[in-house]
Amino acid sequence: MRYLMAADTGGTFTDLAVHDTENGAILFGKTLTNYADLVEGVLDVVEETGAALKDAAVVKHGTTHVINTFLQRSGARTALVTTKGFRDALEIGRASRPVPFQLTFRRDPPLVERALRYEITERIDANGQVLQALELEEVDVLAKILADQKVEAIAVSMLNAYANPAHEDAVAARLRALLPDIFITTGTSISGEWYEYERTSTAAANAYIGAKMSTYTQGFETRLQGQGFDGSFYMMGSNGGLLTVEQTLQQPVALVESGPIGGCIGAGAYAQALGLDRVIAFDMGGTTAKCALVEKGRFEVQPTYFVGGYERGFPIRTAVLDIVEVGAGGGTIAWIDEHGRLKLGPHSAGSEPGPVAFGRGGEEPTVTDASVALGRIGPGSFMDGKLAIDGEAASNAIRDKVATSLGYTGADGVDRVAHGIIDLVTTIMSGAIKEITIERGHDVREFHLFVFGGGGPLFGSELARSLNIPNVIVPPQPGNFSSIGMLLAEPRVDFTQTYLAKVSEDGLADMDGVLRNLEVRAKTAMAAEIDAASIRYEHQAEMRYQGQMHSVRIDLLGGDTAASVTAGFEAMYRRRYGHLNADCPIEIIGLRVGAMVATEKPNLAQIAPRPASGDDSDPVPISRRNVYFRDVDARVDTPIYVRTGLPIGFASVGPAIIEEYSATTVIAPGDDFSIGQLGEIWIKCGKEVGQ
Amino acid sequence: MSQQAASLNDLDGVTDPITLEIIRHELISIPNQIEKNIERTAFSPLVQEYKDYAVGIVGPTGEMITQSRGSLLIFVANALGTAVKDGLDIYGADGLEDGDVVITNHAGTMGQHLNNVVAYTPIRVNGELLGFFALLVHWIDVGGGVVGSCSSSTTTDVWQEGIQFRTVKLISKGERVPEIFRMIEYNTRFPILLLGDLEAQLGGCMMGCDLVQDIGQKYGVAAIENAVLAMRRDADASVAKILSAVPPGEYKASSFLDDDGINVGKNIPIDVVVRTDGKTITVDLSGLADQLDGPLNAGRNGGAVAAARIALKYLCTPDTPVTEGDYDRLSVEIPDGKFLSAGPEAPIGASGSTIPTVVDTLLRAMADVFPDRVAAAHHGTYGVHAFYGTQPDTGALFQNLDTVSGGWGATMYGDGAGPFRSNAHGDTLDVPAERQEASYPYRIDSKAFRCDTGGPGKFRGGLGVEKFYTVLHPCHMTTKFERTECAPWGLRGGKAGATGGLEVIRTTGETFPMLKNQTSFSTGDRVRVWSGGGGGYGAPWERDVVLVVADITQGYVSVDGAARDYGVVLNMAGDVDDAATQQRRDEMARND
Repeated sequence: MRYLMAADTGGTFTDLAVHDTENGAILFGKTLTNYADLVEGVLDVVEETGAALKDAAVVKHGTTHVINTFLQRSGARTALVTTKGFRDALEIGRASRPVPFQLTFRRDPPLVERALRYEITERIDANGQVLQALELEEVDVLAKILADQKVEAIAVSMLNAYANPAHEDAVAARLRALLPDIFITTGTSISGEWYEYERTSTAAANAYIGAKMSTYTQGFETRLQGQGFDGSFYMMGSNGGLLTVEQTLQQPVALVESGPIGGCIGAGAYAQALGLDRVIAFDMGGTTAKCALVEKGRFEVQPTYFVGGYERGFPIRTAVLDIVEVGAGGGTIAWIDEHGRLKLGPHSAGSEPGPVAFGRGGEEPTVTDASVALGRIGPGSFMDGKLAIDGEAASNAIRDKVATSLGYTGADGVDRVAHGIIDLVTTIMSGAIKEITIERGHDVREFHLFVFGGGGPLFGSELARSLNIPNVIVPPQPGNFSSIGMLLAEPRVDFTQTYLAKVSEDGLADMDGVLRNLEVRAKTAMAAEIDAASIRYEHQAEMRYQGQMHSVRIDLLGGDTAASVTAGFEAMYRRRYGHLNADCPIEIIGLRVGAMVATEKPNLAQIAPRPASGDDSDPVPISRRNVYFRDVDARVDTPIYVRTGLPIGFASVGPAIIEEYSATTVIAPGDDFSIGQLGEIWIKCGKEVGQ
Repeated sequence: MSQQAASLNDLDGVTDPITLEIIRHELISIPNQIEKNIERTAFSPLVQEYKDYAVGIVGPTGEMITQSRGSLLIFVANALGTAVKDGLDIYGADGLEDGDVVITNHAGTMGQHLNNVVAYTPIRVNGELLGFFALLVHWIDVGGGVVGSCSSSTTTDVWQEGIQFRTVKLISKGERVPEIFRMIEYNTRFPILLLGDLEAQLGGCMMGCDLVQDIGQKYGVAAIENAVLAMRRDADASVAKILSAVPPGEYKASSFLDDDGINVGKNIPIDVVVRTDGKTITVDLSGLADQLDGPLNAGRNGGAVAAARIALKYLCTPDTPVTEGDYDRLSVEIPDGKFLSAGPEAPIGASGSTIPTVVDTLLRAMADVFPDRVAAAHHGTYGVHAFYGTQPDTGALFQNLDTVSGGWGATMYGDGAGPFRSNAHGDTLDVPAERQEASYPYRIDSKAFRCDTGGPGKFRGGLGVEKFYTVLHPCHMTTKFERTECAPWGLRGGKAGATGGLEVIRTTGETFPMLKNQTSFSTGDRVRVWSGGGGGYGAPWERDVVLVVADITQGYVSVDGAARDYGVVLNMAGDVDDAATQQRRDEMARND
């Protein structure tokens, strides 16, 4: 079996990366996403690379299918079965108004309408004791109603089921027996943690997309097999691990952020290979910018993810990469508000009509237009010139729609305002980076900034300066980086369990037993085809001062004692919040087990761009142009390099622009830059700002 | 105002418009970052989940620069600035030194219940005072007659409600003042929770100060001042534009509260007048009832000014972060001695409880002028119900302060939403039943929408919620429930929503209401709490029949309710009887 393949179906593009294990080469394919037939889109791009599916050992697939199904509300007709007295929990939610002064504020409606939320007589208390026994006859009656209502999926979620899931399991088993064709899911099969609204919402979400994802995943595998594929097919989970088809069928909600994860895995792999402990993975595309922290090759997952955003969306409890996203991308539109102030977004020109410079009907100036107007993006640089760039149109749009209103005139005025747009989008994006560092108690200056996506390399230098980050790294193939990351992903599952214990030797007595149980669950969830001996586990504990609500997560290293977990907690707490609460008892509230399996991966060195001629002599710029830089407040004669022309070890000083098929890297005057061992670009920001 | 207006015109040319915009972004984001840290490090659920706090940046003379999004609305008005102004009066700007953290909860200046404690620290860049970083946190207990301090509904002066710290330095030039910490520790029933919350409050103060200093260093004090002035001027311009569309004149509305907890059954009138000349707006609260015997009072800043500012924000600039310019055109008139301008001795334990109704009444006064900017009344009460007692296993003291969420009023754009808490709350999260059952000796038996409680209208009000508790171990409850008589009114032909209430059901079967009182429970006693619905908007017989049928399907409206309130009549098969519906609707229109 010759190939490992990773296919990423994104909102705009479908990307493919293929690792040829015979010669170590990596092949790439890219096409516009085929919404009419997502699978066909992937098969097309496979064909484009020339690799045959019958020779593929593994196909990995990331998709925006789940999140789109939620956002478009195109999932199944779903019913909820819950404890008597609590069918409205899903709609009442937490009764808060995150948007403070809007009289019209309302949340998105729940996934299950009230008429399809049913109650069962049963009750379990907070200790897991049965207060009111379950009568299965009641379930039998309900099954008929559900069939009459033509529901397509059922979520079963009971109060206090985190303490004892027996009733949930019994109801689900009975319904499965009576309604074998309906997708049925329980809350505790996805999350073992307390909080009835969040768990019920998770169950509802899983049911809502279950049938559709089953069809999609199984259909995908069948069509791959139709092309002679008989290797392993995995889906990319939001936790950064691969899921088997079987796992996907049970927990489709685990694919909710299947898309952005690839880049973070890639950033983690490069950081490890380069010996960097702490990097910020920064991905900028056409409509949004995203960032995540990668420490020692690992990234945090967040316990609760809000589909549709915190303000109006609904929560799901599934391990999702801890990512902060802001609505700032190349297509974000600059405009003047009623007070005559320069504003950016939230509107985006997206890919249709796109920036003015693309000449496809866009009329509003965008962030990309600002880059074009300043000479940062060259006329023939986009996709090797396949997409022509109209610099004059971009400049005119900025002049007419923005600069004139602000009182700036002439070419210098357009430069100043265009760079104002760059500065403003940098501020918004650095706000996202501050959020994921400062709000989580990290010092941003201790990180390297790892930039990818179509826009990341354009802004690395500015972002690093505004945040006082000394080093920026641009990996090879920044525009295809998500699919590269997926090539590097491993099968992984995570299980969590609420576990309330004071930290004392007595308190921890049964901790090992709980962890072992979670390991068994994880092992069972891994596919039968995976050799149990090859699974490695990591253990973590959620800890807090007794009485606190939020917890911090620490690694358990085995043989843990009260003293060792206390030390781990205090170190983490001090780092995050700068103080300890001396004399306050510490407790554990949850345990988490991650199970991973090592798989064959490409050698990163093989991904490095290679000079076409194999010639390692000093590269010369392919051209020069005048590019505006803020620090010197003037246009500067700047050399333009082609990335494949820069050999490993090459070093120079900015200003410089490095162009490649999918991205452009901007290096400011005075910044040192060089090409590293893996073909990555290093930018060392010359000046410390604000120090 | 004239002096402020003059300085507002003297701007720009100093700092370029792009830099101004960048500084504005940075300033607004800092309190939001600190807010997350507070939530993560605080101890009491009141801070973590209920978000009973405010985080903000205050200018060098106490004016509001910006506050975090999650801050409770009642504090957004002016609490932080009021605290800072008292510090400036007492110490002078030079007396507030780098590294100082000052706290205050003084009733006479703050005018809010004593649990609301503001801590603030000066921010200086190169020796120049840029402003203050300030955090208000609801302290879980500051002593007084009952557990939780503010929970009593029968106090008759402020000293029964806890200890006052009037503008004292908790940290002096970076050194903790141990005497003050000891005073705090020994004047609370929950020293561990409170001192934990206090560390979060102090940590947030210092970190916020550092972050503002960083941008001060980066852009310079003059540029920051210009950006702040620009924020103020922009907000003011937005308000000016809206006021210019209002016909000059006087706009009045009335409502009332149940009683003050002492004189049970004696309604408290709320008569408000809003005056505008098309340029400025005056909220005249002279028509409020006099200072009350019980704890529903508030001082001028925490009461009258806060209510007027919240209403104006809802009305004029709901989409932007709060800043001083939102209020430059507002003046508030109220003589001393009204229940929202009470004296420093007045009981104020329930100081926020009346604000939602006053805000609703102010919006009602403006309903005809701004039909597109107001909503019908919401359920309108905090509805505090606080369990307390000792844990059966450890004997430790516990308290869980909860408030109700209910229906919100419909608007000209659509049905009322909810359930949410009052219009003086914000992103205030319910504590989950599972967490309560695992933490306290009672069970929550159900929590469900109340059918037919949304005010009928072309657009329906949001529904009220009913919940039942069963007590599992002897404990106690204090309540402060309001608006059980003055139903949440509709607007422009819309009808009122249902009112809420609270009653105790003894194991003996004895049942009695407990709106503002306290009682002790035996095992097996039950409590029923129900919240009101929001008012409707527009005539109910104009509601789309399809929407009424959908409401019946979902159980938001009963079949009887549809016929009675909306004139939508179903036949035996459950389908709409078109003829009977038309007849009933014509009749309703005639009789209205």
